[in-house]
Amino acid sequence: MKINTDLIKFESGINLESGIKLESFELMVETYGELNADKTNGILVCHAFSGNHQASGSESGWWNEIIGPDKAIDTNKYFVVCSNNLGGCSGSTGPLSINPKTNKSYGKDFPNVSVLDWVNSQKKLMDYFEIKQWHMVAGGSLGGMQALQWSISFPDSIKKAGIFAAAVKSSTQNIAMNEVGREAIRKDKNYMGGEYLDNNVKPKNGLKTARMLGHITYSSESIMDQKFGRKFQDINSKVDGTVDYEVENYLQYKGEKFSDTFDANSYILMTKAMDGYDAASKTHGDLELAMSDIKAKLLVVGFDSDWLYPPKRSKEIQLAAMNVNVPCSCVILEGKQGHDSFLFASDDYVNIIKGFIESV
Amino acid sequence: MNISTSKIIKDWVPNNSKVIDFGCGDGSLLKDLINEKNACGYGVEIDLKKIQECVVKGLSVIQKDIDEGIQDFESSNFDVAIMASSIQCLRNPHMALRRMLRLSKQCIVTLPNLGFWKCRLHLASGKMPVTPNLPSSWYETKNLHLCTIKDFEKLCEDEGFAINKRLFLNDNGVKGLLSSLSPNLFASEGIYLLAKK
Repeated sequence: MKINTDLIKFESGINLESGIKLESFELMVETYGELNADKTNGILVCHAFSGNHQASGSESGWWNEIIGPDKAIDTNKYFVVCSNNLGGCSGSTGPLSINPKTNKSYGKDFPNVSVLDWVNSQKKLMDYFEIKQWHMVAGGSLGGMQALQWSISFPDSIKKAGIFAAAVKSSTQNIAMNEVGREAIRKDKNYMGGEYLDNNVKPKNGLKTARMLGHITYSSESIMDQKFGRKFQDINSKVDGTVDYEVENYLQYKGEKFSDTFDANSYILMTKAMDGYDAASKTHGDLELAMSDIKAKLLVVGFDSDWLYPPKRSKEIQLAAMNVNVPCSCVILEGKQGHDSFLFASDDYVNIIKGFIESV
Repeated sequence: MNISTSKIIKDWVPNNSKVIDFGCGDGSLLKDLINEKNACGYGVEIDLKKIQECVVKGLSVIQKDIDEGIQDFESSNFDVAIMASSIQCLRNPHMALRRMLRLSKQCIVTLPNLGFWKCRLHLASGKMPVTPNLPSSWYETKNLHLCTIKDFEKLCEDEGFAINKRLFLNDNGVKGLLSSLSPNLFASEGIYLLAKK
């Protein structure tokens, strides 16, 4: 599989939904496979809140199971594009970048970004590749929201949208969970009101707690039972002395790893973007009106064990699409991994994605 | 579904209709309706393998157990709802029919006739019927609520459904004279166009 990683600069800048303009911005982009001569085989994949441009082809690929040669999104046939979202911390312009006005990192002063901003920035990326129409835009969770927004914002520029484990807006419970995560970060003494970069520290403890909670919400009761049960952690592999059970050790390990790599201001920015998303925000809450101009075919997939964006959130998208005569298929698949199920290649999931991509 | 049944259904669906096909199977009928009648079509199916076949055909299909309720679809204002050879597989056929007529102006229902003379012969010889229209043995069949033409029309009367059109086929899939004269005995399949009275 041909992989290209590039930092692409957009000198024309971007007007953000908040009203603020970034005079220029950069996107860290990775592509898989090759663009055909008439540029019709482009597939954009959008990452979820903590993902990045590394979708496949390495150990860090968040969608390794789905993207690759002969996989559900087949890189032998399609040119797959994934960029780190604006405001992220994996190379695209975000809180870690230098603010040209101050010559210091933006930090907490990085402007608010939204799903719409991401879609608009990805449109510029599309123009950069001179692609007229994506064969598909797809993603799970917050990535699925971007795929939905693509079909709303640029109806002529997208043939198909794969919307997996997503929703038309965050629920009250989603916002509540995110706020606990943010609070953990803000109350970390190293957060320093968001100015930790200037002080050469990192609010690692807060980030770690936020991530531990996150992992619980991405998982499901049954997979936790199955993976860990009430087994005690082996004494030699405990991350520290406070750990009793395997599940504690797992969360500690995952949280620690995440807090090493992720930026706290970016965490707050990304979760705020997730909370703020509402596909019907431009139509005064009328979802059907918002979706009425969609020309893409939609495939909506939910997972039965997902309690963060449960199946009824998927059905809501399907129903609104059907009410305004937008072509839309919807399946609820068995997925043991809860919300994270969209990351894993079950046979049914792979077959339906493949069928959808290949369909005329 | 045999060719004549599918042809009759297609004849009965007006051009440019918004159609929902309950138990759409592999989506063949729906695909024809979209291509030949310019229909805006959605399928409802419970079997994932069949759903995949629909998706490959480029159709819109929704995974759903009809028995769990189709009330959600009432806001969608369909012109025609179709239930071809599926009604007898439902736990609550009468409820499904009521709901179909709530979400759609008209509904087309096809059903195998248990009163068909070959079925009666099987029963008279002490065995469950196995015919081209009822091909599975009793322990494998998905059919839960088989009925005769008479039974079905009695249900329509009791429920207040208007039968706007009806057509009967014999087991060669044609509108024979006998199956028209005495459908309860000679039709192997009934095809109905229902509406609210």
